[in-house]
Amino acid sequence: MTSAGLDRAKAGLPGRPLSQSGSRPGGRPGTPRGWLRRRPFGGPRWVGWVFVLPGLIGLAVFIVIPQVASLILGFSNSTLLGGTQFTGTENFVRLFRDPQFLNSVLVTAIFVLVYVPANIAISMAMALWLKTRIAGRNWLRVIFLIPALSPMVANAAVFRLLFQKDGAVNEGLAAIGIGPVPWLSDGNWALATVIGVSLWQSFGYNMIVLGAGIDSISPDVIAASRIDGAGRFRRFFSITLPLVSPALFFTTVLTVIGAWQTFAQAYVITGGGPGNSTMTIMLYLYQTAFTNNQLGYASAIATVLFVIIAIFTLFQLWGQRKWVHYD
Amino acid sequence: MKARWTKSRVRGRIALSILTAGALALGLTACSGGGGSSTSGLSGNTLKMYTWIGGKADKQQWTDYIAGGKHADPKMSVSFSGPPINDYYTKLPTVMKSSSAPCLVTFQNGRVGQYVQGLEPLDDLAQKNKVDLKAYSSAMLEQLSVDGKLYSIPFNAGPTVILYNKKMFKDAGVADPGLNWTIDDFIAAAKATTRNGVYGFAIPQASNPISTLMAADGHPWADKNGAKLDDPNFRNALQFLVDLSNKYKVAKPLEAAAGGSFPDIDAFSTGQAAMEMQGLWDLQHEQQTLGKDNVGIAVIPSQNGKSKGFIGGSGFGITKTCGDKQKAFEAIEAMTSKSGLEYVTKSQASVPARLDALDAWSKNVGSPAFASVIKQMTGDATPSPVPANQAQLDTLLTQYEVNAFSGKSTVAEVLQQVKAGLGQ
Repeated sequence: MTSAGLDRAKAGLPGRPLSQSGSRPGGRPGTPRGWLRRRPFGGPRWVGWVFVLPGLIGLAVFIVIPQVASLILGFSNSTLLGGTQFTGTENFVRLFRDPQFLNSVLVTAIFVLVYVPANIAISMAMALWLKTRIAGRNWLRVIFLIPALSPMVANAAVFRLLFQKDGAVNEGLAAIGIGPVPWLSDGNWALATVIGVSLWQSFGYNMIVLGAGIDSISPDVIAASRIDGAGRFRRFFSITLPLVSPALFFTTVLTVIGAWQTFAQAYVITGGGPGNSTMTIMLYLYQTAFTNNQLGYASAIATVLFVIIAIFTLFQLWGQRKWVHYD
Repeated sequence: MKARWTKSRVRGRIALSILTAGALALGLTACSGGGGSSTSGLSGNTLKMYTWIGGKADKQQWTDYIAGGKHADPKMSVSFSGPPINDYYTKLPTVMKSSSAPCLVTFQNGRVGQYVQGLEPLDDLAQKNKVDLKAYSSAMLEQLSVDGKLYSIPFNAGPTVILYNKKMFKDAGVADPGLNWTIDDFIAAAKATTRNGVYGFAIPQASNPISTLMAADGHPWADKNGAKLDDPNFRNALQFLVDLSNKYKVAKPLEAAAGGSFPDIDAFSTGQAAMEMQGLWDLQHEQQTLGKDNVGIAVIPSQNGKSKGFIGGSGFGITKTCGDKQKAFEAIEAMTSKSGLEYVTKSQASVPARLDALDAWSKNVGSPAFASVIKQMTGDATPSPVPANQAQLDTLLTQYEVNAFSGKSTVAEVLQQVKAGLGQ
């Protein structure tokens, strides 16, 4: 390709295709010749298909087919071992009259409302702190990332022991004169515990992504803002935040999706209790399918959860135009 | 015009893709419910068995049962795999329906009700192979049957007993419990052993302690309609457990925990509680942890001192997809034969399901005190069906009973909440 063509390609403009430039007899050195000019499988379209085929198969087998199967099963009374009968919209009507399901939506919504802002705020604060010239900041990044790398189930099991009535946390509080906190026997405290453990587990990943975004900000821009007299807060809100907004958008979208799908923390630490105070949608779905043996109803829950997540994600994608800056 | 044509072509492709994906999904759904081939559930000549394996003790138990089967029938060949008991019943339906479904599966506490759609009824195979079912405990056969059809042949009778720490009893000046142990004796022992940060008793979760306490006084905890949540005896049993914590202060209150976890066993094993109420299957584990001579067993305390047992029969079943059901039945027959179960008693403390193997068990278990407790618990058991929705009931009880221990709800309210949950 000519340098002009390369420039056009970089600029995202249509350039002359490789095969056309190579078809000229006596072309420039470096231009593909002979068999390299031929289009394998009849043309570049098929070459493209060959390259994307493994990904497409994976997408179909692991995402599209299960999603479609789940959608179809949602309209049936399928059980794990029994037959399947079409029941129309019965499951979906039942869902909106099921107090257990409605409670799980409320619990998950509270989780999302508290966990997502807290996660983003902590991750951003840690990323900004690690941007300063503190000793061993790379080691600190690794240390803070470790919880995100370790299995949630193992972490949650340890936290369950720590937060028991006579666990290490209450013993520590007793040492400073604070009475035992009913972490796992009071509904509100149990939900707070699940949110706290989730934050501990996952802020490290967002911290790394936001840290990379902050690192990519040109020091010249910061220096210029300093010369212009911008204070610390002004610099953060007017320079750092807009420039890191693509990374912030990415972490927010993924964190919201993950929060709606919270499962392992509640499953291992509280089992959804006390009562149904920590019963998230995913945990209720799991119990419905595998404990109550109602696969059809569980599939309907999965479909509703998919719709909830899709609405939140599309809303964020739509809203990014107002606050995400890609330049 | 061309643009419109291209647009409709794109739409057509999208529609075709969706239809193809839907057809594939339906195909997969249909395939997953299919029957098995002649090799389904076998690996060569070896039958595959899916069971619970929580650690070395479980692995040893299944190795011993297979060794016992081989002792009775040298041609028998069985391999086993599976998750810990916490996940077993959750994964079982999926495994039974998968293309790699095993031939043999196992059930604990008579919990076949939820899985009969994937199980082969065994009555005809028993008749064809001339197996005398009278040799097995009738209470267990009843537990492992649904609508008059037998789905599992029992291998052990796991009566629930009180396991106690002998050293803690001795240090607190409490005598070993007798066969006529009453609720008052039990509370007195729990009070005496509650000291130095150790509780006298560790309360188990879910329905088992309730059903066991009810059975001790001769009250079945369930009938053909399910658990008797409205029965005053059910309410009294749960109230007694709450009182042990909140009134008598001899047990740690239950807290929210994952279903299928065993905080009571953890507390007893680590010396944080002097007593626990568990199936006899836990005895070997506790002996290994606390010392063989340091673990005693006692009958379940009752109001009048004439305790009856609560039996949770464990058995082998055959999957509907098994490629060679005759071979699978022969393996079960060998593993549950008199000589097979007698062989197992040499290394396992679990009580054999066959009445004619009980003498060998009494001899091999090495303690007349143990034998007398087990004879009372198995000889005079309160028969009780196993509700098909027991997994759901246990999950709900585990969730809601915490509120009774924290004082947020009364026992009656908890049972109403559980009942409402079961209705969903």
